Amino acid sequence: MNPLELTLGIMTAVGGFVDISELVFAAKAGSQFGYALIWVFVLSTVGIVVFSEMSGRVAIAARQPVFNLMRHRLGLKLGLVVLAASIVSNLITCAAELGGVALILNYLTGAPYALMAILMTVVLIVSIWVLPFEWIERVYGLLGLFMIVFAVALVAIHPPWDKIAGGFVPHVPHGLSSKELLTFGYFVVAIVSAVMFPYEVYFYSSGGIEEGWKPKDMLTNRITAILGMGLGSLLAIAILSNSAQLFGPANVDPEIPGSAALQAAIPFGKWGLIIALLGMFFAVAGAAVETCLANAYSIAQFFGWSWGRHKQPWEAPRFTLTWIALFAAALAIVLTGVDVMMLVEFAILFSILVLPFTYLPLLLLAGDKQYMGQYANGRLAKGLGWFYFALITLAAVAALPLFIMTSGGNG
Amino acid sequence: MLRKVLPFLLLVPGSCSSSGPEADLQYIKQARSLGAEWALVNEQAAQGRLTQTYVDSMHEWLRDQLQTSAQSLTQPNSPYGAEIRALLAGADNADPAELRSHTDKLKQIEDHLESA
Repeated sequence: MNPLELTLGIMTAVGGFVDISELVFAAKAGSQFGYALIWVFVLSTVGIVVFSEMSGRVAIAARQPVFNLMRHRLGLKLGLVVLAASIVSNLITCAAELGGVALILNYLTGAPYALMAILMTVVLIVSIWVLPFEWIERVYGLLGLFMIVFAVALVAIHPPWDKIAGGFVPHVPHGLSSKELLTFGYFVVAIVSAVMFPYEVYFYSSGGIEEGWKPKDMLTNRITAILGMGLGSLLAIAILSNSAQLFGPANVDPEIPGSAALQAAIPFGKWGLIIALLGMFFAVAGAAVETCLANAYSIAQFFGWSWGRHKQPWEAPRFTLTWIALFAAALAIVLTGVDVMMLVEFAILFSILVLPFTYLPLLLLAGDKQYMGQYANGRLAKGLGWFYFALITLAAVAALPLFIMTSGGNG
Repeated sequence: MLRKVLPFLLLVPGSCSSSGPEADLQYIKQARSLGAEWALVNEQAAQGRLTQTYVDSMHEWLRDQLQTSAQSLTQPNSPYGAEIRALLAGADNADPAELRSHTDKLKQIEDHLESA
């Protein structure tokens, strides 16, 4: 297997795990609750690996991306409701990513935020238009690997490894007040939502079809899902742990995305800062591309249009116009001046509400031997699939009350 | 339109606790954290670990967010309101110790309100 084949998983994971919401949520989780939320990242990572692998397997065996299934399994009316909710969720997420990229460029160059948002929208549109799908993955996925500086920084600051290891064991910290318990609960739900963002499986399964995966690629799919998501999770846990070590004792609950870059600057100075900002830039730009394409994939697949970046833009005109229009809409949201952090909060909230509807049809189809033949879910995939479906349904039910009771995790 | 609607929606949760120190708690926390971030940035900048462009941008964003927190207070003429104003009155390159003296006071107020 060519290692470059892993780039779909890397891009999906780096863009999915360490996007703008993760940069803030992982850092906030670490500063507020130390290492106590690491297990939630691990739990959610297994969940996204399970569903990504499943969506890739369905794309290979049934040759259908997620939104095709949605329409067939949920029916037109409910399918339309889910599509509308997904479009809103992905669009808000895309706007948050676009705003995040503009912010990071502002930290790097000092150029005005709004100007950077406009410039980056043009750059992202041109890059999707010009680059073949594989190169889109490689540019954003591989350059996003600068984010590894956060894992290296963690080693450099000599954290208490025993406490980090303890964070992998599911637990709720002792001595929390009822208010803090609610905030802890909100963070659990928000992390599950941020790690299992629906756009990741839309993008991943459609990407598998873009790359022309065939049954011989089943192993590639499995390895890509496990290694790609595992890497993303590792980076998110590194950001959380750095934050627990550096920000918590300093009374800092990172309120703006740029604070995360300090984690690399403290041990490595200016170069650490620049590498961290570059990693953040490519990871968040990759997430913007993912959310926009995932949205366009969903719409095109739902309505049965010709779609895909393996085709020339003019060969799939409605798909092309859709992703350009979505970028323009995301830019319009950013240019209203709305706070990026507010967009992140809303993206998380909307996503968790959509999650059960995204994963149920996938779970049903992946277990259907008529569609999947010998590639239908086995006992392990079925068991894990239903466990995570129950978990995300519970999280979806709890999300809104927790958001209201904790003022969006702000206590 | 969106700019008007989104903040309103986000204020819905906050509006549950009407006004007073309890309602201001989330802004006190925000301000405490922003002040602490500001101190950390200045401390690292003084040690030559940050680029000037990054420092300038962070100052701008931190000040902007701090201003928002200050404006969101239902009781601006309170001890915590005074601490936030003192933070805002500081120079961009204010002494980290001075910034921390304000955030420490905000932290005390925050702890007191949370334990009440």
